[in-house]
Amino acid sequence: MGSVKAELLRLWKWPATWVLIGVWLVMTLTFGYVFNYLALNGGTNTRDLSQQQLISAMQPENVGAAVVRGLPMFGGAIILVLAALAVGSGYGWGTWKTTLTAGPRRVSAMAGTLGALGIIVVVLVALTFVVDLGAAVVVATVEGWDWSLPGFDAVEALGASLLIAAMWTGFGVFLGVVTKGPALSVGLGLMWAIVTENLLRGVGSLLGPVESLTKVLPGGSAGNLAGAVGGSGAPGVLNDLSGTTAALFLVGYVVVFVGAATLLKVRRDLV
Amino acid sequence: MTSSAAVEVKGLRVHRGGRLVLRDVSCTIPQGSVTGLLGPSGCGKTTLMRAVVGVQIVSGGSVSVLGAPAGSPGLRNRIGYATQNPSVYGDLTVAENLRYFCAVLRAPRSDVARVVDEVGLGGHEGQLVSSLSGGELSRTSLAVALLGTPELLVLDEPTVGLDPLLRDELWTLFRTLASRGVTLLVSSHVMDEAARCERLLLMRDGALLADDTPSALLAQTGTGDLEQAFLSLVRESEAA
Repeated sequence: MGSVKAELLRLWKWPATWVLIGVWLVMTLTFGYVFNYLALNGGTNTRDLSQQQLISAMQPENVGAAVVRGLPMFGGAIILVLAALAVGSGYGWGTWKTTLTAGPRRVSAMAGTLGALGIIVVVLVALTFVVDLGAAVVVATVEGWDWSLPGFDAVEALGASLLIAAMWTGFGVFLGVVTKGPALSVGLGLMWAIVTENLLRGVGSLLGPVESLTKVLPGGSAGNLAGAVGGSGAPGVLNDLSGTTAALFLVGYVVVFVGAATLLKVRRDLV
Repeated sequence: MTSSAAVEVKGLRVHRGGRLVLRDVSCTIPQGSVTGLLGPSGCGKTTLMRAVVGVQIVSGGSVSVLGAPAGSPGLRNRIGYATQNPSVYGDLTVAENLRYFCAVLRAPRSDVARVVDEVGLGGHEGQLVSSLSGGELSRTSLAVALLGTPELLVLDEPTVGLDPLLRDELWTLFRTLASRGVTLLVSSHVMDEAARCERLLLMRDGALLADDTPSALLAQTGTGDLEQAFLSLVRESEAA
């Protein structure tokens, strides 16, 4: 618990945490509500979305889907950056040396970082839900729509959001430990989340095996889970796998990323 | 290990980057003493300290610390270690860093005020570490090593970049800690700090040239100051 408390204290006071959370909330509001609202009120809807679809996307009862559809790509990238920075900065500033020398056992130190990141991710998903719900209620009230609060399907969407966020967190932690620094881990992670998987999907249209592979890669699995619980209309959301299959792949990635990062941290010399 | 020895190193050999950087080093550090580890840059001081702290993979020999093999889990909260490069978060304030390490090391939060006072950082608690001067930065790192109640303090060049007044205050603090029974191993490449130590370990090229008191070294080499004594020992070892 001491390690979790310490890491929470650090991440709470850390400007990067708030910058990333702020960026994510602005993005989710802008792409989830502001642009849809403008399109509904006289914007040029180049994607041929019907008015009913735009209204549905902004309805308070669909807030769960609004949260999950942002996570496979952009939200995931932001969470990955936060995790990679949280772990990598300890190498950059040299603080892991002190923690691992005089602090708790390495496994405990790692568990502290993971626990603190886990708490932040839960808070982030909950905060996104609340902010999106607030925006949806405001839009619905201003437009005079009949609306209702989210039902049980929102719980499913939030559970999926947490699993997707956990996978990107694990990926970021893994990269931070492997590269032993913040810059390379963030660069590699962003390249993977935003560029590499999309390029592979392009290649997949030419090569069948590559197409099959892209469905189960980290971003592909996240996109498929988001698609399975109602997220749609956002980059990275897919409908190629069942929700259960995608969820199992994500659980596997969490176990592999967190396990490999912890093993490396425990076994590797501090040189 | 003798009952009065806090650290006992026997035949220590360490390879780093494919090079032998510590060659059969053996020494003893008495409990409650200030022992200086002196020698030119690159002579192996930091590697020896890392081995004492237990974060260095060794090729041979043994290191016992406070009665247990170096690196034993039970030693973790009994050792304070300040690395040569300050190891604190630059994007947090001095107080935030200290509160963070208090939680990591499970030290009482009241230690923050104590260590800030001990290293002379009063008034800088709310300052971002990245905006501190070099001397203030190394004192912040030293403050982290002083958190809790370490029985052994391993300090790698803690006085680099400090003005003479502050350096004198820190050496007074080191002696005060030693009088309370804390053992200090302090490295430096500045020979004029040697006289402030009760015992000296002089190193060169990964080997230990001497392990004695300053007065004994002066008597042994027949020189008037410790820098001359060190040079005399170097020439002696080269001639042998």
